[in-house]
Parts: sequence; structure tokens; C-alpha cells
Amino acid sequence: MSRPSLAARWYVPAEIQALRLWLSVAVLVNLLIMALDVVRDGKLWPSLLGIALLALGRLSLPDGQANWKKPVAQLLGAGGVALGLFALAISPRLLYDVWSVAWLVVPCLLLVAWLSRPRVADWAGGRSDREFAERGLARNKESMPRLDVVALHLALLHGLAVVIVPVIWIVDVAVSPGNVLGGAIGDAFTLEHFTAVLSGDSFWTWTRNSLVVAAGTTVFGLALAVPAGYAFSRYQFSGRKESMFLFMLVQMFPGIIILVPYFMVMKTLGLLNTSIGLIIVYSVTALPLGVWMLKGFFDTVPRALEEAAVLDGCNQFEVFFRVVLPLSLPAVAITALFSFLAAWNEFLLALVFNTSNEQYTLPVGLASMIPATGQQWGDFAAASIIVSIPVVVLFVFFQRALIQGLSAGSVKG
Amino acid sequence: MRVLRLWAAVTLLALPIMAQAQAQPQTQPRVSVADTEPGYRQIQIDVAVSPDPRVAAYEIWFAENSFSSTRDALLHSRIAVMDVDGLERGAPGENYDYCQVDGLPAYLDADGNAVIDRNAARWSCALTGMVPGRDTWIAVVPVSADGLALVDVDGLQPVSGRTDASDERTPPPDTRPVLYALGSIILSTIVLLVFLRQRDARKGRTRSRLAHVYVAPAVIGLITLTFYPILYGIGLAFTDADQSHLGDEAWVGLKNFVTVFASPGMWRVTGFTLVWAIANTAAHVFFGLLLALALNRAGLTGKTVYRTVFLLPWAIPGYISVLAWNGMLQPEGLVNGVLGTSIDFLAGADSARLVVILVNIWLGIPFMMMTLSGALQALSADMFEAAEVDGVSRWDQFRYLTLPNLKSTMVPVSLLGFIWSFNSFNTIYLMTRGNPYVGFGEPGATDILITYVFSVAFEYGQYGVAAAWSVLIFLMLVVFSWLYLKKTRATEASA
Repeated sequence: MSRPSLAARWYVPAEIQALRLWLSVAVLVNLLIMALDVVRDGKLWPSLLGIALLALGRLSLPDGQANWKKPVAQLLGAGGVALGLFALAISPRLLYDVWSVAWLVVPCLLLVAWLSRPRVADWAGGRSDREFAERGLARNKESMPRLDVVALHLALLHGLAVVIVPVIWIVDVAVSPGNVLGGAIGDAFTLEHFTAVLSGDSFWTWTRNSLVVAAGTTVFGLALAVPAGYAFSRYQFSGRKESMFLFMLVQMFPGIIILVPYFMVMKTLGLLNTSIGLIIVYSVTALPLGVWMLKGFFDTVPRALEEAAVLDGCNQFEVFFRVVLPLSLPAVAITALFSFLAAWNEFLLALVFNTSNEQYTLPVGLASMIPATGQQWGDFAAASIIVSIPVVVLFVFFQRALIQGLSAGSVKG
Repeated sequence: MRVLRLWAAVTLLALPIMAQAQAQPQTQPRVSVADTEPGYRQIQIDVAVSPDPRVAAYEIWFAENSFSSTRDALLHSRIAVMDVDGLERGAPGENYDYCQVDGLPAYLDADGNAVIDRNAARWSCALTGMVPGRDTWIAVVPVSADGLALVDVDGLQPVSGRTDASDERTPPPDTRPVLYALGSIILSTIVLLVFLRQRDARKGRTRSRLAHVYVAPAVIGLITLTFYPILYGIGLAFTDADQSHLGDEAWVGLKNFVTVFASPGMWRVTGFTLVWAIANTAAHVFFGLLLALALNRAGLTGKTVYRTVFLLPWAIPGYISVLAWNGMLQPEGLVNGVLGTSIDFLAGADSARLVVILVNIWLGIPFMMMTLSGALQALSADMFEAAEVDGVSRWDQFRYLTLPNLKSTMVPVSLLGFIWSFNSFNTIYLMTRGNPYVGFGEPGATDILITYVFSVAFEYGQYGVAAAWSVLIFLMLVVFSWLYLKKTRATEASA
């Protein structure tokens, strides 16, 4: 037996490297498919056989020495293709079946096809002279990134499907007539759910409540947070460290410990079933994050500007309102958006504080469309779309700023 | 001839089976609602049954609307039927669901649960936990030893009853203590701020003249509406506060904590919460890191599209996504449509647990992806170029350069993710409400601590017990965070 030459050890064709990875991944994916087959009560043997073929194919990938491996691997690949086509023929041929079979057939096809390429065949046949290896390495440099990108896109597309399918589904339910959950995607079209939601009173009541609460939270929350953030950023004063620590500490308290006492305090103050109760609570829960974010933003406004304004005869209030606030308006807007979205989406406190349909906010109202019995899926889907679109647009539009703000608040806290 | 003989044999064989299948179904128990109100949130039912040796238990089903099938109702309780020789009668009011047989308190089994005499033709029970001021529909279903209903469960004729809270309603609570507390806290905070201001003036810090005025609203808001409620909640844990004692709750010492530790399913719900939080955090970090690495690749086509779409689970309001998944996982929903099956994923305990975890993983990945992707972009590109020149493999670059440098972001963010998962109420509540049902008053199969505390507080109305749970949850989180930070610091020091 000959030891692999230097060239053989340094040079492995890109196809072989890719197959080594992809066949292993295919085995894992087929294991998952087998688990789903158990759930489906389907036949186990095709997936078991498929996994065996892929695993054996992976084990018998050529190693650069002339031996039995290449023909065996190709034979296994051909077997996998045949098995896949047969499994597809006996399956109900849903989209899922096509997908699961593709995870067997495509890797096997690649195994057969790539091993018969002349360069790979030569390498598998033991050719390892220097010129051959050098050319191969040059070629690898070109094709490896391409293969990598294809694999990356393939993986990302799978992720994309998992994310986007619920969205497509909810749109489909919203435009499907009647109160159905199933049915093929795009089989019928109606706007009845949208008209039902928009012409009913409840939706508008909930929207009004949510708008009042979210706008109130934004205004009240900012009125508390902006001066505090500014003071923390600019002044050295007694108690600064202690109160900043206080704000940090609050962020670490889990919401649950406050839930019951909040309810009791609000109940004794008679603020249950009012928008004011929610506004107060949301403003205060959003306060620590807002203060930390604003402090970070104010830190970036140069002090020289304020000093110049002071020299020009401005007092502290004027400096703040005429110089600092206009300069940090974008930051304040982001903080405002943050409080608004948080209040707009909050569910638990709204559920606990408001028990009448008249005072429901959108989250609680929409959830009330899906009770244990008598669920109105179509109307719920239509309402969800109407509620989500502005939020998603805002989110996507301001994503960078929101993420920066949040990580500034959370990581420091 | 042979066919005939075969037919005869089959018929003979089948006869007993058919006889059993067609055995006289039990007559439906007649339920009537008593006029007396046994107590707050209770409805008294009287049930007339025909004694039958096959009956092993009676199930009491209820719903807010009239129903004809148990599918549209909730199981309130299951009362065993057995021979009562050698058992003792309970004392009146001793049991949670107080039952009577022929006017006397029911016998109790070894566990202290009420059982009904096999020969009893009439029995009555006070059903607890009923929503006051609302009609409730109730039906009783006899079941056999192997759990099968002995009457047609799709042809039930429930009767309606109600309990009125009006005559039980407590007088409006005394708000003065709370107002005094809030007022004195605000006053003392102001005094403190004025004192600090004076100290600054003495020290000659004049630039910060208005600083205390600026921070005053936020600090007062924080102290009155966060610190005071937290202390109030801790205090509440030692009182008997519940729906009927509000404002005049009495000090009961550690009784609520005893109740918590003695409650059935306490360790089960704590265990599942830990599994839930750890599985979620691990998956969020793993997939978030994977996506962040993938999207961090220079020159990837469609990067913006991918990034925007992967952001969707975070951008769409969480409650909407969860409810959408709830619909997709119904027997006639999309997931079953794709698989070509009709499985009720949320019916079995294990499958429901798996499914809620998967849905919550789906929800939380984008946050980790974006946070880690921000941290990745902040890493110096020179470092990776240098590694590339030195021929360091991609995996080793990840292992020895990316991971250690991401650690300062990953440690706090994963702790935060753990705390969030630990407290993520929406997913469980909107997917399953803690169901599948395990037992009355017990946490459901998918309940995590926070959803269970929610039902203790707002469904059973036991505020004191719920506050005790909250304090314990808080302590658990503190201990866990401390252990985690200690552990990660230790590895940092040794690395």
C-alpha cells in the first residue's frame, strides 16, 4: 500500500470537500425527516434506508488513493436516487414530500455526478503529481467560495421559509371565506373579514384605547426620562451614583414580582379599567431603559456647544431647551418610538388591569377573538394584519437605531 | 356451505363483542342546581344517577355557554365511585370540593378526596372556582374504569347555574393606608433630594444647581411605582390577601410559603420552567449566532432581504405570532396540512411542551441575531485578516477569535434572555393557557411558573399565595443569575 504523496495530502478537490460536509448535513436532516415520518405514521424503512445510503456514501468518499471507494460511493449514490424517486412515487406528493425526497436525491445526485468529473476521477484514481495538484489548488480557490455561498443560501432559504410561512398563512386565513384554518394557500379570495373587523365597534374601541395608552405612555414617560437622562449625562451631584444604580437595579427585577402588587395598588387606587392606570405603569416600567438610552445619547452631544450658549447668556433651562434638545431630537424620537411600541404590544399588564371589552387594548382584544371555543380565525387574521403592518414598517425602518438603543440599555443594565 | 359455516362462526364469535358494544348505555345523570349558595364562587349541584357497577367515576364538565359535547366544555373535577366499606366520612367544609351523599358528608379515600358510594342514587357537590355573576353550564358524565364515558358525550344536556358575587362583594377597600404610604414616600424622597441639593451647595458645586430638580420626577416615579410595589408584594406574601380579603388582610406568617411548598405539582412546574428557560436561551443563542455569522459574510447577495425577513418574528407583535402559531398547530391547521396529518399537537402533554418551546424559540432568535451581529461587526477585521494570512482555518478562527471576543456580549445577553424566557408569559398563555389539564388547582402540563402564578392570583384569587410564589421566583432568579455570573467569571479568569 502506498502512502499518500505530499500532493495528495495537500490537495483535495473542492467537490470532495463539499461532499464531506453536505452528506453529513444531509444525514442529520434525514434523521429529522425520519422523526417527522414517525409523527406522520408513515413507513419508516425508506427514510432509514436513505440515511444508511447517505451515511455509507459519506464513509466511502474517495481519499485520493486508488481503491474500491469511488465505484462503491457512486453505486450508493445511484441507489439513493432510485430510492428517493420510488419514495416520491408512493407518497401523497405534498410539497413536504418533495422537500424531504429532495434532501435524499440531491446529495446522492451530486455524489454520482461529481465523482465522475474527470479531475475528481483522476484524483480518486490516485493521481498526485505536482502539476496536477497545483492546478487543482488554483481551481479550488475559485470554486470553493462559490460552493460555500450556495450552501449558505440553501441554509438561509430554509430559515427564510420557517419565518415567512406563518406570515403567508395568516394572510391566507384573512382572505379565505368563512372561518377556516386549513385549505390550500391562495385557493379563494374575499375581503369579508376585513370589512367585518373594520365595520365592527370593538376593533375601533381597542384601537382608540391602545392609541391613548401608547401616546400617553410616550409623552409621560419622556417627560420623566429626558430631564433625568440629561442630568445623569451632564452633572456631578450628590446621589448621582446611587440613583443610577437604582435605575439599573429595577431592570433586573422580573415583571412577575411587581404584577400582583401593581394590581393591588391599582385596585385600591381605583385605577383598574382605566387608561390612566396603564399609562402610569407602562411609563414607569419603560423608565429605566429610557433614562439609560437618553443618557447615552446626551453623552454624545458636545459640551462645548452648551458652554458657548452659557457664555452667550443662556440660563440652564434655555441651554437645555434651545441647544441640547434640538440636537438630540433624533435620539429622543427613537426613545419615544421605543416606549410607544412597548405600550402598543404589551399584553400581560393590560390583561390583568382591564377586564371589560370597553377598556381592552388591541393585544387583549385580539386575543379575546381566540377563546377556548368559538374562535374567529378569519377576523383575527384580518385584524392582526391591520395592526401589524404599521408596527412592522416602523420596526424595519428604524431597525438599526432600535437595536442600538436596546443593546445600549440592556447590556449596560 | 363452507361460506355459511364461516359466517356462522364469525357471528358467534362477534356476538359477545357486539353485545358488549351495544350494552345498555347509562342513563344520563340528572343534574339540578340548588338555590342555596354554598359560598363565594361556588355552585351547588344535586345529581340523580342510576347506580351501575360499571361506573368508576363521575366527571363534572362546565362551560360558559350551553354545550352538548364535552369538547366544548372544561373538566371541573372527577369524583371516584367505590365501595365505601372501611372509609370515613369527611367533616363538613373540610374538603375543597365539598360533596354530600344522601344528605351526609361524602366518604373520603386514603388521599382525603371525596368518593361516592357505589349504591348512592343521589349526591350533591359544591363546585368551587365558578365565575360570579355569570351563567355556568354544568353536566355530569359517568365514566367506566378504563376512562370511557358511559353516556353519549355529544348529546349532553347541561343545566345552568350561577353564583352571584353581589351578596358576597366586600365593601370597597380602605385606600387610606396605601395613600398614606405613597404620600410619605414621595415626601421623604423630596426631603432627601433637598438635603442632597443642600450638601452640594455647601460643597460649592454650583454648576449642578438644577440637577436634583431634573431627576426628581423620574426618581419619585421609580420609588413610588416600582420599589413600593415590590416591598408591598413582599409584605403581601405574609398575609391572607385574597379576593374576599382586600384592604383588611391579616398577617399569617409563613403560611403562604407552606402552601406553596405543599402544593401539588410545585416541583414539576419549577422543573419545566427551568427546562423551558434553558432550552430557549440555548437555542436562541445558538441559532442567533449562526444567523449572525451567516449574515456577517462580506458580499453575500440579498443580505438586506434576509436580515429584514429574519427580523419579522421580532417586529410582528409577539401575541399575534403566538396566536398565529396556535392556529397553525390546530388539527386542521397549516402544519398538519403540510405534513398531511391531523394531529392535535397541543393535546398531549409532551407534544404540547415541545411545541410551545419550539414556538418560543422561533420568537426569540431575531433579538439574539441582531445583538450578536452588532457585536460581530464591532470585532476588528484586521484580526481576521491576520489569521487568514497565517492560514488559520475557518473553524479555528471562530473557536479562538470570534467566540472569546463575543463573550463580553454573550454572557450578559444570554442571562437577559434566560430571565426573559423565564418570565415569558404570552407564549404559554396564548398557546395553551397551561393546558393539557392535570388536576384542579394544579399547574397544567405546560404551565411555567409565571403563568401558574397568574392563575393562582387572577383565576383562583389567592393574592397572598401568588405573592409568595413571586418572592420565591425572584429568589430563584437571583440565585441563578449569581451562579451563572460566578461561573462565567471563573472561566474568564482561568482562560
